[in-house]
Amino acid sequence: MRIELQAELDGLEAGFQETGEIVFRSVRGVIDALRTQDDELCDEVIAFDDEIDERYMALERQVEMVLARQTPVATDLRVVLAILHNALHLERMGDQCVTIAKLTKLSSHLGTQQAVVEGLVDMGERCAEMVKVALSAFAERDVAVARSLHQLDELVDNANRQVFHEVLGYVNDPEALEWGMRQITVARCFERIGDNAVDIGEQTAFVVTGEFAEFTDASH
Amino acid sequence: METPHIDSTRIAEASRGALERADIERREKVFSVSGLGVSYNGKSALEGVDLEVYRNTVTAFIGPSGCGKSTFIRCFNRMNDLIPGAKVEGTVLYHGADLYGRDVDPVEIRRRIGMVFQKPNPFPKSIYDNIAFGPRVLGMKGDMNERVESALRHAALWDEVKDRLKDGALGLSGGQQQRLCIARALAVEPDVILMDEPASALDPISTTRIEDLMHDLKREYTIVIVTHNMQQAARVADMTAFFSVVVADDGSARRGILVEYDTTAKIFTTPSDKRTEDYVTGRFG
Repeated sequence: MRIELQAELDGLEAGFQETGEIVFRSVRGVIDALRTQDDELCDEVIAFDDEIDERYMALERQVEMVLARQTPVATDLRVVLAILHNALHLERMGDQCVTIAKLTKLSSHLGTQQAVVEGLVDMGERCAEMVKVALSAFAERDVAVARSLHQLDELVDNANRQVFHEVLGYVNDPEALEWGMRQITVARCFERIGDNAVDIGEQTAFVVTGEFAEFTDASH
Repeated sequence: METPHIDSTRIAEASRGALERADIERREKVFSVSGLGVSYNGKSALEGVDLEVYRNTVTAFIGPSGCGKSTFIRCFNRMNDLIPGAKVEGTVLYHGADLYGRDVDPVEIRRRIGMVFQKPNPFPKSIYDNIAFGPRVLGMKGDMNERVESALRHAALWDEVKDRLKDGALGLSGGQQQRLCIARALAVEPDVILMDEPASALDPISTTRIEDLMHDLKREYTIVIVTHNMQQAARVADMTAFFSVVVADDGSARRGILVEYDTTAKIFTTPSDKRTEDYVTGRFG
């Protein structure tokens, strides 16, 4: 039994889940900031990203150490590689939250359109749920749950399209249109968070099956 | 400034990555083993092994102590014949011919299928005589100086010893002695080289040299290696066989079995058998 390797793998898993938890908090924070159009909360989300980045760098260092010192193979190697991938996905999610927070602040002086805000909040809630599901599926090595992320992601994609069509309706109102154009980017950020959650699900399947396959073909 | 020599063949090989199983299985079968079992004085040491070794590949045998991997490799050049009470069952075909057939001369077999052992065992003679001994005994024709130089060059030792060929072989370092033993095996123009833990008594730099040598030698020879060092198998072998030990219910008897045989890439990334996974990840043995 390789006690040291197992301890380092356990440490990596714990570090990954903790990073996931703080990214989840960031997603929740940005949803609240959006709902309440709270500039102060936006600033907090932006500042919080430094912690996510630090966690990401720490995970990357841990992975480097495990590879260099323990030379894991088979399932152990896949776990390490998956965590390296997933850590980057989490870090990207954090970046998306920062973009959403910045855009929310930038457009706060323009009049908000409640229907779009509600649509975005709904997207955000679905994304937060996807982050939770992705983390739990990885922890449990549950491929069926990981695969369900694809269905959840389709709902996010649909919501993204609805926001776009809603904003098209503002074509005769320059101020609403300017605000709406920024919200299309916000919707796009949420859509990317959903994609990243699916990516984490794909890594779960890779760890369990040993074969990497995208749940959906992005070209279709 | 001299342009460094770039071996494009090796770069091409490296860029292709690990060989696919289908690529390997298309190669000529050097050994075809079926139903092989070995016992010592009636006690089974190894049972029911089926396996094929392909030309110009490195095949590694790994497994815990007592799993029969050294017993198995010794079947390939009939070394077990020399052990009183040893009995080999099943068949070992060498290029399609029964290695244990009545008309087969074990001495000729051992010329064509050379062996390198864990501990370097040069003769207490000069470097030159160590290499020349085998060809002389076998009455091999040709220029002996050329033969010695060629064997030492193939074993990546020539540059280090060319100016002191008459010096005693026992004065060489452990790593050099092991390469001398490889050169000695090459001097009689073998087809296969068996290596039983060839680097386990060597320092890391000498180990790297032996591993590099295996990469080079497999272009001309077929190599079978037993190693306790799993990372060594992962680094050098194209195919890897994992052997394990089965203990009788009452604990009275232990015998080796072949658990899984596949490409090294498969064995070290997605082995099919849980026992292999447990062994390569260090959770067993």
